[in-house]
Amino acid sequence: MVSTILNTDVKQKDADIAVVVAVTSRALFECEADDDGGDDVYGVGLAFPLLKALHRVNERLLEQNPAESLLFDVILITTDSQQQQQSSRIISSTRHYGLDVGRFCFASEDDFIESLLKNNVQLFLTTDRNEALQASQNGVLSVMLDQQIASCPSEQLRVMFCGDAIIRPDAGPSQQASQSFSSQLGEMRRRFGMLDTPLSIILVTSCGGRESCGSALRTLRSHGVSVDEAYSLAGSPRGPILSLLRPHFLLSDRFIGLDE
Amino acid sequence: MSLNNGQTLTASKQDLTKNDSSNRAPWEDAKMVLKPSTSTRKPKPPKPENAITIAVSSRVLFNMEKEQQIYEQQGMEEYIKYQVEHETQPFSPGPAFSFVKALEAVNTQLRELYPESEELFDVVLMTNNHAHVGLRLINTINHHQLFIERFCMTGGNSPIGYLKAYHTNLYLSADPVKVREALEEGIAAATMFTQEKIMEVSQTQLRVAFDGDAVLFSDESERIYKAHGLDKFFEHEKAHENKPLDHGPLKGFLEALGKLQKKFYGKGQRMDCPIRTYLVTARSAASSGTRALKTLRSWGLEIDEALFLAGAPKGPMLEKIRPHIFFDDQMFHVEGAAEMGTVACHVPYGIAQRVIKREIKDKEISSAPK
Repeated sequence: MVSTILNTDVKQKDADIAVVVAVTSRALFECEADDDGGDDVYGVGLAFPLLKALHRVNERLLEQNPAESLLFDVILITTDSQQQQQSSRIISSTRHYGLDVGRFCFASEDDFIESLLKNNVQLFLTTDRNEALQASQNGVLSVMLDQQIASCPSEQLRVMFCGDAIIRPDAGPSQQASQSFSSQLGEMRRRFGMLDTPLSIILVTSCGGRESCGSALRTLRSHGVSVDEAYSLAGSPRGPILSLLRPHFLLSDRFIGLDE
Repeated sequence: MSLNNGQTLTASKQDLTKNDSSNRAPWEDAKMVLKPSTSTRKPKPPKPENAITIAVSSRVLFNMEKEQQIYEQQGMEEYIKYQVEHETQPFSPGPAFSFVKALEAVNTQLRELYPESEELFDVVLMTNNHAHVGLRLINTINHHQLFIERFCMTGGNSPIGYLKAYHTNLYLSADPVKVREALEEGIAAATMFTQEKIMEVSQTQLRVAFDGDAVLFSDESERIYKAHGLDKFFEHEKAHENKPLDHGPLKGFLEALGKLQKKFYGKGQRMDCPIRTYLVTARSAASSGTRALKTLRSWGLEIDEALFLAGAPKGPMLEKIRPHIFFDDQMFHVEGAAEMGTVACHVPYGIAQRVIKREIKDKEISSAPK
C-alpha cells in the first residue's frame, strides 16, 4: 500500500509540465540499517548535493520568470518496507533541511515501481543497483548514483551524456524515456545564456573518434539538447576525465551503473 | 548423397564467384575481414601513456581571427551564433597547422617501420570553446584531413587538469595565461604566435628549433648575465664548463623527440631522419657554448645542429633552417623570428619575464607627469 503525502512547505509544481525526478530515501539521507534513532534528523546522503543543485536550477528559472512551470518536481520515494515505516522521520528530516521535495511516496519493494509509473517519474535516482535495473526494465530512466560520481561539490547542476551509448540503435524501453527527459533538460538549458548557467550539459564519447562525438552532438541537437562541454576520449581511460568533470549523474539510453 | 552435396557446394561457389567481381570465395572474404588492414582502415589512437601527446588550442591550429574579433567586440552570444551559422565553413590553417601535419607525416613513417608500436605522436585538440563550436571544429578537421580523434572542449573551464589526464608532453596555445599555468604544473608549454608571412617548410622532415637558456636549460646563467653583464656571464660559464646546467621546461620534449629519432636510427635512417632538432642560442661557440653542449651530452641527449649566434639576431638563421616550430623565452627573439616567417612560440619561463615587467614599470614611472 503506497501512501502519498504532499509536502506543504513547498509550492506544488504543475504536474503536466514539470520534470518529475524521484529520489530514494536511502540516496538522500544516511539511513542506518538498525533504525531506532527515534525522531532524530537523518544525516545527508549521496544525493543531497544533487538535490541542492536541482533546487538552484528551479530558483534561477523562477527568477527569470516567476510563472515558469518547466521546473524540477522532486518526489522522495521509499523502496523497502523498513524505510516505509520511517515516514515521520523522513518527513521531518526533509523539512529540517528545507529541501524542495514536492511529495513523499511511501512504498515498499513490491510497489515502488508502480508508484514511479503512476507519478509519471521521468528520472529515478537510487543508490541501489537492483532498483535501478528494475525501474529501467519498466521503462523508467534510472540512474545509479555512486560515491565517485554523485558527491560533486559543484553548485552548478552538471549532467553528463555518454555519447557512445546515445548512438547505439538498441531501442530499450527506456530509450524513449531518455529522449524525452533529454529534450526537457535541453529546453531548461535554453532558458539561460552561455555564461552563468545553473545547469551544464556535458557530452563524453569513450570509444569512437571525432565522428562518433560529432554524431552524438548532432543527435542531441535533434532532441533539442545543446551541449556545453564535449570530450572525445577515443579510447583513453575514462576515470581521470570523469574525476575532473565531476558530473552529478550520467545518462545513456539505458541504465548505466559503474564504469561500463 | 555426398556427391550431391559436393555438387551443391561447387555450384554455390561458382555462383558467388560469378557475382563477386573480385573473384574471391566467401571464406576468403571472411579471412580478409579478420586480418588487420593497414592501408584502408583508420589507425587506432595510441594509449596516452605510450604516446607523445601534443595538445593544441583551436586558435593556434586554425585561423579564428575573425571569430575572435566578434567575441571581443560583440560578446559571447554573438560569437556562438556566428560560429553555428558558419558551421559547414571550415576554418583556414593557423600557425600550428604545418607543425601538426609534420607530426602526422612522422607518424606515417613510424607506423610503416613499427606497425605494432604505440610510440607515436598523438595530437589532442584542447580548447576552451563551448561545444557549440564543436561541429565546426570537427568539420574543419575532416576538411583538412587531420588525424585528430581526441579533443576536450571545456566550455570555459581550465584545461590544466585535462592536460595532465592526457599525459601531455607539449601544450601550445594562443593564451599566455593558460601557458603559464601549464608551466607551473610542470607541463612543457608555449604561447604560439601567428607568423607575419608564410615560410615554406618541409613536408617530409619535422624540424624543431629550441633556444637554450630558460627553454632547454634553466635560467640560472641568464640570471648572471642580467645581474652582472656579459663579461661576468662568459667568465662564469667558462668556470663552470663541466657542471651541467639544470634542466628547463622544454627538456622533456627534446627527450621525447630523441626517443623517436632513435627508432629511425634503428632502421638505418640516420642521415635522412624524418625528425631534425636545432639549438639556436645567443651563446657563442668560443666560450659559453661548450657548457651547453656538455650539458646535453650529460643528459644523454643529442641535438642535430647547434647554432651559436653570439648575440646576433635569430631571424635570418631560422629562415635558413625553416623549422616547423621555434621555442624561445624572450619575446624579442620570438617577434624577430615571426617577422621573418618562422612559427615562433614564447616560453614564459625564468628571469626574462620578470625583467620585462620591471622595465614596463620603470617606463611607467619615468613617463609619469612630474
